Amino acid sequence: MELVVALGLIVFKVALLIAILLLLPLPLTWLERKIGGHIQQRMGPMRVGWHGLLQPVADGIKLLTKEDHIPAEADRFLFKLAPILALAPPFVVFVAIPFGESVSVLGTEITLYASNMNVALLFVFAVIGIEVYGVIFGGWAANSKYAVLGSLRTCAQMISYEIPMGFAVIGVVMLAQSMSLLDIVRAQADVWNIVYQPIGFFVFFVAGLAKAQRIPFDLAEAEGDLGAGFHTEYSGIRFAFFMVSEYAIMLLVSVLSVVLFFGGWNGILIPLPPFLWFLLKVAFFVYLFMWFRFTFPRYRYDQLMTIGWKVLLPLSLANIIVTGVALL
Amino acid sequence: MSRVTDSSGKWIGWAFFADLGNALALTFSYMFSKSVTMQYPDKEKWLPYSRYRGHHFLKRDEEGEIKCVACELCARICPCYCIEVVPYEDEKGNRRPAKFEIDMARCLFCGLCEDACPADAIALGQQYEFSSFSSHDLVVGRDDLLAKPGKANAGGAVVSACLNTQENVLVKTSKQQGYNWWRNIRRT
Repeated sequence: MELVVALGLIVFKVALLIAILLLLPLPLTWLERKIGGHIQQRMGPMRVGWHGLLQPVADGIKLLTKEDHIPAEADRFLFKLAPILALAPPFVVFVAIPFGESVSVLGTEITLYASNMNVALLFVFAVIGIEVYGVIFGGWAANSKYAVLGSLRTCAQMISYEIPMGFAVIGVVMLAQSMSLLDIVRAQADVWNIVYQPIGFFVFFVAGLAKAQRIPFDLAEAEGDLGAGFHTEYSGIRFAFFMVSEYAIMLLVSVLSVVLFFGGWNGILIPLPPFLWFLLKVAFFVYLFMWFRFTFPRYRYDQLMTIGWKVLLPLSLANIIVTGVALL
Repeated sequence: MSRVTDSSGKWIGWAFFADLGNALALTFSYMFSKSVTMQYPDKEKWLPYSRYRGHHFLKRDEEGEIKCVACELCARICPCYCIEVVPYEDEKGNRRPAKFEIDMARCLFCGLCEDACPADAIALGQQYEFSSFSSHDLVVGRDDLLAKPGKANAGGAVVSACLNTQENVLVKTSKQQGYNWWRNIRRT
């Protein structure tokens, strides 16, 4: 009986996570277009629903009913595989992420995480690395010049940011003496990691921008020079998969920044419910992503690699050494 | 511009990304500034200035008769030959147009017909919404031209309007609100 309840709870949590992650891009696209509009002194979507609130729904219906076009010269198997490869890993990663300690519902304690892995951080980085294959395969399979250029850039980009990103979180792991995200957040109960690890956070966040393929590092889909980059040839629901994946990764990088560097659900000064603190911080980072998008120009991809190898990598290595010396 | 160059010369500003910070501050301030969007045709509509050259209209004199004397000067001066006038003699013995047709699809709205007219009978008015699915509908006759709206009296303002696809007039307007849209644009 107990096993059934525990199993049911896990299934429920996973289903809830999937539902939230699938539905969250809807308000996020609306928010992004609104923020972008107002930054550029426009209004953004205004016509569908109150202040365009139903615009994402209309867009979703449009994407679902559109022709799902596959180019004649495309590699059909990879072409169909790529959106799924891009979509699945961001969803899988959220299994390892804690959203809070626990809440009691009807007398039973329910933990706000699907699983408490002792190597959660490693799991996150391992799984999220697979997502890049979706982008690379998508660009390659489409058999189009723009798409191939987009996926080539992704390859170059991935190598240059994954390494600094991995090194940047080692400082956090050293401070918490654990790779479990739950323990990392618990270790920040008094002082957030951002106080000890400002450089680590900087490296992590810049690499995260590149990871989420957002401006200023959205080279794989640079609209200005590559059409739409790796998803030039995608239409309809497969394109929607890529979009959902992009927003899920943006959310993931925000959540990771909060969990690793900004104390997770630990609040300061104002006593709010822990989960609300968590949501507020994540919302701030999501806003930061959109704010960046409508402020900065795009880096050239040799500039991105220069930043990755010559700035972020030495900085993250120095961060590890300094943290290690300070801990000794 | 000046704000960005000010701090980028110093190395401390360079090390802490002062230029990027300035850019972020600028976009943040823009985000809370007033939007310049004119919500045409959902909510607002721009009324043109009185000098605006829109759809032609024919004028009537005090007795309500058409002013045009069918001299065909407008048809002569028209650079794209879009005006066709056929005169006739009415019961009072005056020369009047039996047919006065303007092909709006060919018109380039130069206003030369207005300048050439000796009787001050034709002018270009304030209407600018006359798109059509057929170029035949754009050939406008004498009676339609007489019914067209005249010059704007005090244009240059945004009025509230609403889209109305049922009627012939697509955009309904209300009384003038009197705010100048160009004033809204932020000058830095």
